[in-house]
Amino acid sequence: MKKAAGFIKKNPSFCVFAVLALAVIAVAVFAPALATHDPYEAVLTNAVQPPSAEHWFGTDRMGRDLFSRVLYGARTSLTASLSLVCIIMVAGTLLGIVAGYFGGVLDAVIMRISDMMISFPGMVLAIAVAGILGANMTNAVIAIAIVSWTKYARLARSLVLKIRSRDYIAAARVTGSKTSHILWKYMLPNALPTILITGATDIGTMMLEIAGLSFLGFGAQSPTAEWGLMLNEGRAYMTASPWLMVFPGLAIFITVVVFNLLGDSLRDVLDPRNE
Amino acid sequence: MRTQWCKKAAAAVMAAVMTLSLAACGGSGNTSQGGDSSAADGTHLNFSCYNYSNSMDPITNVNSSWCFLRYGVGECLFRFDENVVVDYALCDAYETEDYITWTLHIREGVQFSNGNAVTASVVKASLERLYDAEANKTGNSTPSQYVTFSSMEADDAAGTVTLVCDSRTVNLPGILAYPWYGIVDTSVIDTEVIGTGPYYVTALEENSTIDLARNEYYWDGEVPYDTIRIFLTEDSSTKAMALKSGDVDLVENITTASDLAELEADDTYYVSTTAGVRLGNSYFNFNGVLGNDALRQAILYAIDDATMCDITVGGMYTAGCSVLPSSLSYGYDQLTDPFAYDLDKALETLDAAGIVDTDGDGYRELDGQRINLSYIAYTSRNLDEFAQAVAITLESIGIGCTVTVQDYDTALANQSAGNFDLITSNATTVPTGDPTGFLGNFYSGNSGTYGYYANDQYDALYEQLLTAADAGEQLELIIQLQQILIDDAATLVHGYYNSTFASRASVVSGADIAPIDYYWITTKIHPAA
Repeated sequence: MKKAAGFIKKNPSFCVFAVLALAVIAVAVFAPALATHDPYEAVLTNAVQPPSAEHWFGTDRMGRDLFSRVLYGARTSLTASLSLVCIIMVAGTLLGIVAGYFGGVLDAVIMRISDMMISFPGMVLAIAVAGILGANMTNAVIAIAIVSWTKYARLARSLVLKIRSRDYIAAARVTGSKTSHILWKYMLPNALPTILITGATDIGTMMLEIAGLSFLGFGAQSPTAEWGLMLNEGRAYMTASPWLMVFPGLAIFITVVVFNLLGDSLRDVLDPRNE
Repeated sequence: MRTQWCKKAAAAVMAAVMTLSLAACGGSGNTSQGGDSSAADGTHLNFSCYNYSNSMDPITNVNSSWCFLRYGVGECLFRFDENVVVDYALCDAYETEDYITWTLHIREGVQFSNGNAVTASVVKASLERLYDAEANKTGNSTPSQYVTFSSMEADDAAGTVTLVCDSRTVNLPGILAYPWYGIVDTSVIDTEVIGTGPYYVTALEENSTIDLARNEYYWDGEVPYDTIRIFLTEDSSTKAMALKSGDVDLVENITTASDLAELEADDTYYVSTTAGVRLGNSYFNFNGVLGNDALRQAILYAIDDATMCDITVGGMYTAGCSVLPSSLSYGYDQLTDPFAYDLDKALETLDAAGIVDTDGDGYRELDGQRINLSYIAYTSRNLDEFAQAVAITLESIGIGCTVTVQDYDTALANQSAGNFDLITSNATTVPTGDPTGFLGNFYSGNSGTYGYYANDQYDALYEQLLTAADAGEQLELIIQLQQILIDDAATLVHGYYNSTFASRASVVSGADIAPIDYYWITTKIHPAA
């Protein structure tokens, strides 16, 4: 308990943002309990109602309760963003470590593929991939993953290159340690803190990218409750019924800010200079 | 303290400079009296519309031929008036005795916008080029869909073109008013598309703008504008905002209900709405699960078309039950709808037919298979909104339905291939001035691309309609055909699309939309006094 109090005292901003992030996650998890209506129940005669006591955030063009849809949207957006960050973090890190440790042809191949990927504007390539695969949430995650893993691969590779020629790695080799053991016990732990910080700060960015694809029609499809899609659906009513865009927009804004600041404060926590 | 004050002052000055810079970048927002610099002198109109095609050559495809007429560049031998009655245009008289051989007199003194004369030979060459393009597959327009000719003869001395139809064709003037049959100057067609309309194209930037100028040789009265710039705008809200900001003076078909409502409520704008001749519907695929009569009937019972037309799409459509719009004189009042909206009856019908949820997953099964309808929609004219509203309603009665919004060409390809259970459509019901062609979509010989509907009685009556020359007989047959389609639950009718034009009242006058929307830019649209 004393330790926890000490940690909180030492890292107040991290604790605040961690609590806020947990609150966002809690909203997603407990959406069924918090929602006032079924987010998919449409009453066509109640379309585009302004915010009221009955519908706190108003209703959308199909007469669905916007508050409930925004809450359920947290589930879709968070699940997709966290899955995406996990995928690109694991895939990118593994490829980066392998490229950095083994070097040679393997390094050249992985890094050239990575170069090819970053030579295109990320969002444009993601749109092209999502367009080819077909518009749905899974394909949107795959599309963004394909263009986003390179950052982690480059990062992991540079970190591995930094320690590959250290004496303790050489010692591990001469004492007969297996390659897998060296990768797992020495390379990965050295790369992990930086990768984790990058991953944490990427959650917000990825959420924006997924919302962007859904907004453009390449991600979630109607009637899914997803913030980007809800923004698109409300776009036509922007001037007459602004609440259709304001509330999903606020949800994206708040969540992205919370996860970005959480990532920043996590960097401060893990920074050895703060010890 | 002094340093701090200096910093604050510097920041304030910087902010002011940036604000002024940004303000200088913006426009005045009032360019309606000829905001485009190219039109500093003379009258100028800025018009914004959806881009259906980058071509204006009638042989290219349906949309290009429509653009040829809509932009005021070309004309046909005949045209439709505001009551969808066919009227003379480049042809000023005709004769026929048997409805097979038609002698059309070409109006004297008409010139193309490049000054070349419109002669009988040129008209013949233009029509021949259209049919050659279809035969040679150099164009996607299919004029033989409406009429084919065994011969075409031109007599320049008499100024007549004699057309011999392959079969008795009662409505040839109406057919020749269809945009495919727009007359082009074939002597220059390899380099440019020249017609006889009030304006001609001076510059075209694909998917962006089209510049038009006055046709000095126009035959039918004064041309009001020296120049027109057409802004090709995909998004309806963007069009509305451009009108409000003064960037454009006239827009066609604002399809977002909220934007249209705002414009209608503001005296600054004149909104012209007409009960159009377009049907918004969804075709059922009879080769799939929707071949089941009870299921289709239940769907018709479950769909509240009036609410969808009035609220979901904000009055952009007028609700109805028949495939022919209630505003046309085809006996709508004599039709009865046995499947008018009644949710309880929908549930009763499904239960009575044994289409029930046996496994408790919330969805009904048909022949042991969970129903999950594949509903294809495209975004034109609120069709995707209809599809979503229908899907939500069907889900509420335990019929699974997945809406896929596709671009128009993909949806059309899927329609032709039969890869759908339901597919949205918005089409002109009287493309040639009568509904025979449209009713042919449900004739078993043609219905392959419209869901494979087939009814022997319908086929027999339709064949009768094709040869009927008496107007009374035609009307009687058309009414019977409509009733059969209603009784068979042959298609899901959403409503009849109301076309709109919105203009800045202080700048533009006479901007009224025609019921048959082949004509957008006409000489009736002129600067406000």
